[in-house]
Amino acid sequence: MMHDSDNRLRNAALDALTIALLILVLSPIIWVFIASIRPDADIMTRGLIPARVTFDHFANIFSRGDFLVALRNSLVVGGIVAICTVVIAVPAAYSLSRFTYMGRDFIGFLILATQMLPAVAVLVPIVVIIRSLGLANTLTALTFTHLALGLPIAVWMLKGYIDAVPRELEEASIIDGSSQIGAMFRITLPLIRPAVVAVGTFAFVLSWGEFILALALITSAEVKTLPLALQTLFDPYSFSWGVVMAGGVVIALPTIVLFLLFRNQLVGGLTAGGIKG
Amino acid sequence: MTSPAVSENEPRPFVEVALPYALVAPAVLVALAIAVVPLLYALWLSFQDWYLLRNPQPVWGGLINYEALFADAGLWRAFWRTWIWTIGTVAVEIALALPLALLLNRDTAIARMASALILLPWVMPFIVLGYGWRFLLDSEVGALHSVFQFFGFAGNSSILNDPNMALAIIIFISGWKGMPFMVLALLAALKSIPGELYEAAAIDGASPWQRFTSITLPSIQNTMLIIGLVLGILAFYSFDLPWIMTRGGPQDATTILGISMYKAVFTDLRPAYAAAISVVMLVILAIASFLSLQLRRR
Repeated sequence: MMHDSDNRLRNAALDALTIALLILVLSPIIWVFIASIRPDADIMTRGLIPARVTFDHFANIFSRGDFLVALRNSLVVGGIVAICTVVIAVPAAYSLSRFTYMGRDFIGFLILATQMLPAVAVLVPIVVIIRSLGLANTLTALTFTHLALGLPIAVWMLKGYIDAVPRELEEASIIDGSSQIGAMFRITLPLIRPAVVAVGTFAFVLSWGEFILALALITSAEVKTLPLALQTLFDPYSFSWGVVMAGGVVIALPTIVLFLLFRNQLVGGLTAGGIKG
Repeated sequence: MTSPAVSENEPRPFVEVALPYALVAPAVLVALAIAVVPLLYALWLSFQDWYLLRNPQPVWGGLINYEALFADAGLWRAFWRTWIWTIGTVAVEIALALPLALLLNRDTAIARMASALILLPWVMPFIVLGYGWRFLLDSEVGALHSVFQFFGFAGNSSILNDPNMALAIIIFISGWKGMPFMVLALLAALKSIPGELYEAAAIDGASPWQRFTSITLPSIQNTMLIIGLVLGILAFYSFDLPWIMTRGGPQDATTILGISMYKAVFTDLRPAYAAAISVVMLVILAIASFLSLQLRRR
């Protein structure tokens, strides 16, 4: 067996290697952040260490009306999607977890199966249906389609958490005269609150970064979301890499922060979803 | 089932029978509206003759879309390219994830911090990463472009403009983006290997390489296979990354089926033909999903 000091030395060496590899693997992301705070003239030099720091690129994008409109649209769509996901997923998960009824397994499978269905596969029919409903170029269309992104994982993740809440807790409350639904609100929901917040966050993040549905359904500037706005920042003949990268940081930052905050819940739910799916 | 006071023989009140269905109904409706209805509609659409430049309304066309699809040489190239893309992406995912997972499978503060940060490529939106990589590969400002230029992989123009290199580089980026999911799965598999196995092997004098090939690899290969299949299905349906980076170009070098389908609707204005492409992709998805279920049962 190895001595403790050998072990410590070995771990220190492996830690150093871990950090080096981590920096290498994350360097494209680090680069985006560095470029966003660098004057355009310095970006041309391609070096890693920024000699001068500027927040002009951020001031630039936040002075652009189209970017602000997109920011508002993304917040509105993501916020409504998060709320609707929670409102729909909690009762569904409760039903799948607490009751036994005919068709339950099939319903659970149906909801989960939609998770494995890639947006590309149903893009054509969705676009045709939404256009024929006259909903193209509306945030309503985007909100509704984005609802499908996180809902299946939300249902299955919450079901796992509700399964873990002992039934006896609810039964005690029901004996005290509360209804089944009352017991759900009073007993179970408060206990799974962290998971509820996590799935809401997750739904928001998925909607926030969603690209292909937005690209296919939205063309007018006033209903564009952030991913489309970033394209607009880039597409014209003259653009600044610094500004585009600053736009990227604005889109990436909430995603990163929210994900790192809710990492434990999300990783559990996602691996479960991925493995079951 | 829920109220033990009611005996099995007594009919339960309607409200009680209906309650679980009512609770799950909105989720089912969303699933129907977003998945089942569009799938059936795509199937119906794929048998229509609908070319917006000629007939503005769909008319029954029988198999014309499928006939056109099998005769479309460009689509066949996209089909085979999609397999290269899918297998390549999963290969990169495994090649990057395996060493990282082995490194992160230690209980040190650095390893814990790194296993959180390694998730970033997976978490960040495609649009940000796509433009980030375009920036790195840009021929005027890109740091990575200089590196490629130095080693002779790129001339004065970006590697993304080179039909021979663009697909390879975007496959790598696609694998890089999906790699964290594989790291997570491998870490879970590695943590479940009993430590006694390694102790016994160490006593028997097994070298680290022997321990890796006779203990580690057999214990994680099932996970690798199943997650590889899940990631493969995701990769098969890619659209965002190749679209954001190259729009399928240069000279269709990065046109995979998702891109072909998108262009069929929005460039060629042939929604029914695009629907037929979707149906073919779905049949392949169904086979792959069935295969992955069989693997999991094993």
